[in-house]
Amino acid sequence: MVIMDKILVVDGVTKEYPGRVAVSKLSFEVKKGSIHGFLGPNGAGKSTTMKMIAGLLPVSSGSITLFGETVQPDNLTLKNKIGLLPENAPVYLDQTVEQYLKLVSKLHGVKHVKDQVDKVMTDLSLLDVRKRLIGNLSKGYKQRVGLAQAIVYDAPFLILDEPTNGLDPQTVVELREFIKKLSAEKTILFSSHVLPEVEQLCDQITIIHQGKIRATGDLHEIHQKFRQGLVMRIGIGQQESLPDLSSFGKYDITHENIVGKEKQYHLTFQDDRDARAEIAKYLMNKGLNLYTLQVESPELEDIFLHVTELKK
Amino acid sequence: MIWTLWKKELESYFASPLAYVLVGLFSLISGVIFFNLLATYTDGIQAIPQNMAQEISFVEEVVLRLFANINFLMLVFIPLITMRLFSEEKRLETIDLYWLAPVREWQVVLSKGLAAFTLIIAMLVMTGIFPLIIWGVGVRDFSLLGTAYLGVALNALCYIALGLFCSSLSGNQIIAALLSVLGIMFLWMITWGGHLNSNFLVAEIFTYIGITSHFERILRGLIGTQDIIYYLTFIFLFGFLTVKSLGRRNW
Repeated sequence: MVIMDKILVVDGVTKEYPGRVAVSKLSFEVKKGSIHGFLGPNGAGKSTTMKMIAGLLPVSSGSITLFGETVQPDNLTLKNKIGLLPENAPVYLDQTVEQYLKLVSKLHGVKHVKDQVDKVMTDLSLLDVRKRLIGNLSKGYKQRVGLAQAIVYDAPFLILDEPTNGLDPQTVVELREFIKKLSAEKTILFSSHVLPEVEQLCDQITIIHQGKIRATGDLHEIHQKFRQGLVMRIGIGQQESLPDLSSFGKYDITHENIVGKEKQYHLTFQDDRDARAEIAKYLMNKGLNLYTLQVESPELEDIFLHVTELKK
Repeated sequence: MIWTLWKKELESYFASPLAYVLVGLFSLISGVIFFNLLATYTDGIQAIPQNMAQEISFVEEVVLRLFANINFLMLVFIPLITMRLFSEEKRLETIDLYWLAPVREWQVVLSKGLAAFTLIIAMLVMTGIFPLIIWGVGVRDFSLLGTAYLGVALNALCYIALGLFCSSLSGNQIIAALLSVLGIMFLWMITWGGHLNSNFLVAEIFTYIGITSHFERILRGLIGTQDIIYYLTFIFLFGFLTVKSLGRRNW
């Protein structure tokens, strides 16, 4: 039996417009049941790629396979399997929330329209505004309506293009929680500018820059791959000073500060060997008070800046 | 699917004051035209001897002129209705909602066209009061009323098909409306071009391509196969072109 663990396979996809290449030879995969973060600076080609995956734009070359079928704008069989929340939610401002969601449900052939619309409005806290015109709603509510549009026909694959962009902190937290909950049943491709959000939500990421893939895979593996040496934080007594640790590998002290009653050093070892146990013994044998000994993970932001060459 | 889309379009018309304003304005203007035609007709009859008065046909002087004027009003009203149908959806990117659903382009085009035609029917229904008034005052000469309505309806379908195509070309409503007005005027002028041309074949072709000759025949109850073929070809051609124009998202 073939277990299809890859829901989406993007294979060598290029999108060209007259005189401009939007994305070039993109290849990445999205695993079933994952939240896949899609990162890149503005104009990197994220939205174009997401629209191609959703079947709104054709590819110039390469192929996109979703649930084993080739994605093409006129492939109608895939339409009910993909939910898209684009950067600008496609909402009719002169319709009420309920009218709009019923329309979307009917377009997708949902059988029990009323039940499904009621369920989605309940899940996204839209019941209070169900009779209001979408044009009169706040940005946060409009975005909820946009998200409701993407999930109301219960598509198993969701594409969310910066769903929390420009929203107030309360709505951001609520939407993030909701997306996390959705991932129990759905596979999600999720783009965001907020890197801590991606770290919080996603287990896989793809970083694109200037239309090309810079990194793709498990978040943990990417962390490993782009770690430039091993960063260790050592905290000892305020009056004490750190002895030479070069017997454990070549290192630099990148940062030094006082935190409470301890003095903390940030050391970057050139090789990846984690020598915490030996270092702890060594420092204690020297009679030092060891308060902190920790290996630091590089921030996703550092990786992002590094692979997009924004940090020299 | 067509029903869902048609209903959505009609709801959208009547959600804004636009539809009410258009129907109201159309009724007002056509009412003024009707009143003037009627006044001119009665003045004309009273001004000439009784035995000659029967020569002035009520159908010619009032009914046919009224519908020729209604056709002229369509030059303004139909582009106002069709201009937003695709251009606004393109500008607001709501058109993606259709392409994300298992909906074909032709279904969207057909439902938008039918919804616009429904609004035109609503306008024409308002003119139904005119024959009733005449009936009330004892004039019974309505022989060509049915074909006159048919002619205006067929013309409206052609203008809607043209307007939809223009709307699919541009994300700007004003440009879409201007293109439609120019397109309709071209359809009229090409017939005049036929009348002015001395080459028989060219004149015949021009006359056939222009909409006016077909409309005038139908107004007089002389509807023929060539007219039916003309209208069907025109509506299908522009419907097809609109579908293809929307398909540009596939390029």
